[in-house]
Amino acid sequence: MTKLGLLVAKGVEKSFGLLPVLDGIDLEVSAGRTMALLGPSGCGKSTLLRVMAGFEPYDAGTVTVDGQPVNGPSPTRGMVAQSGTLFPWLTVRQNVGFGPREQGEPGVDATVKDLLVVTGLSDFADALPRQLSGGMRQRAAIAQVLANQPPLLLLDEPFGALDAQTRLRMHEWVRGLLAERPTSTVLVTHDVDEALLLGDQLGLLSARPASVVSLRDIAFGAERGRHTLTDPAFVSLKADVLDEVLGAA
Amino acid sequence: MLALVAWQLAWQWQLKPQTILPSPHQVLTAADTYFFGDPVATELSGVVYFRGAGWSHLATSILRCGQAWAIAVVVGLILGLGLGLSRWVADLLGPFTNALRAVPLFAWLPLLAVWFGLNTTSGGILIFIGALWPVVVATTDSVARVPIGQIETARMLGTPRSRLWRRVYLPSALPEIVTGLRLSLILAWTVVIIAELSGTTTGVGAMMTAGRESNQTDRIIVGVFIFALVGYAADSLLRLFTRRFIRWSAT
Repeated sequence: MTKLGLLVAKGVEKSFGLLPVLDGIDLEVSAGRTMALLGPSGCGKSTLLRVMAGFEPYDAGTVTVDGQPVNGPSPTRGMVAQSGTLFPWLTVRQNVGFGPREQGEPGVDATVKDLLVVTGLSDFADALPRQLSGGMRQRAAIAQVLANQPPLLLLDEPFGALDAQTRLRMHEWVRGLLAERPTSTVLVTHDVDEALLLGDQLGLLSARPASVVSLRDIAFGAERGRHTLTDPAFVSLKADVLDEVLGAA
Repeated sequence: MLALVAWQLAWQWQLKPQTILPSPHQVLTAADTYFFGDPVATELSGVVYFRGAGWSHLATSILRCGQAWAIAVVVGLILGLGLGLSRWVADLLGPFTNALRAVPLFAWLPLLAVWFGLNTTSGGILIFIGALWPVVVATTDSVARVPIGQIETARMLGTPRSRLWRRVYLPSALPEIVTGLRLSLILAWTVVIIAELSGTTTGVGAMMTAGRESNQTDRIIVGVFIFALVGYAADSLLRLFTRRFIRWSAT
């Protein structure tokens, strides 16, 4: 079975007790593409991502990755959250190598070395997470998840805790990273710039209980970065999206 | 230093009879005799020797404490992990252990004396009980407080449930467990003196008891200093040994 990272969610419903959170979510993320999900605060975006990661059971519908139903966490679906997912007692090197080592995969050292170069953390390989800056911590968390070579990457506001400049640098870095290693990605965010810079597709979610209000392709080409932010087409799209998001709230 | 001066003055002014309050110099001489005096050539059973017996008494007390503490640590860690990680174990043993924990340590003494006699066996068990609870409480509480995010991350990265305790729970909870181990070690060391009150002629506690019976306060004070110094040294060693494992939690 080839692992392409094709994610299909059909009619996904989820409630916490009497509180409905997800109301019939239909989504499809094609292999190697990035789906950015935007929605008002508290709409259930993170819950949806946790359902896709297998951390939360869902009440109705189906979620499959490459045809396999999601029913629990798995190394084939790597999730990075805003607060970071590094183990504070392990060094950066040990954190990045954690997944492959747990699965007894050979060549862990080479994989880790490669990812440390990609993330620009080679000089901090033996540092503890608390010794890193916020941006470095999130890069390390992404490297930790990528070490398992998951066909699907789930990003839950991964740069939400970073300052604006660091966030922009991270956007450019992730963009380059995903171009180099095509990985199906679902990015949940409330930052419109982030969604438009990183997404190949944009899904808008309604206020809670969340359902998909609209889906559109984002056609800015692969070369996106700080210059894109001032592109008139980008500014105009951003205005449209903002109207729709604020309307949805 | 100030305390030493006050002690010397109190002795000179004879605030207490000199048999009750010996001078610092007398205590120092007693310590010198205890550790460096010539031991008697033939030892009789049932006699607590003093001259030259210091090192052997100290080794006996440390061994007595160390053995009971080591067993308490192993049992405490297993019990604590079980109580903190398993609903089933917590339901089954939780109320029982909480009730036992509420029994004052020295309330066990009469029962142990009836069962085993007032001897080193009872003493060892008393040290074990005293050292057990800090380890159990620290382990139970700290593993129950491990952030769910760390568990989810490990599961996502491929750690099977059966290995979570070793990969996440134990390392994440270690700083608090180490605090429990330190409390437990100090408690075990303080109980040694009770364990050596009777039924033995060796150990620092036995020497102090003999000192009390023969009104040799200088010897009792030597014992107090030994307990303080060894307790402090043991705690420092434990901290030194565990430091590299919990370096990450330093603020």
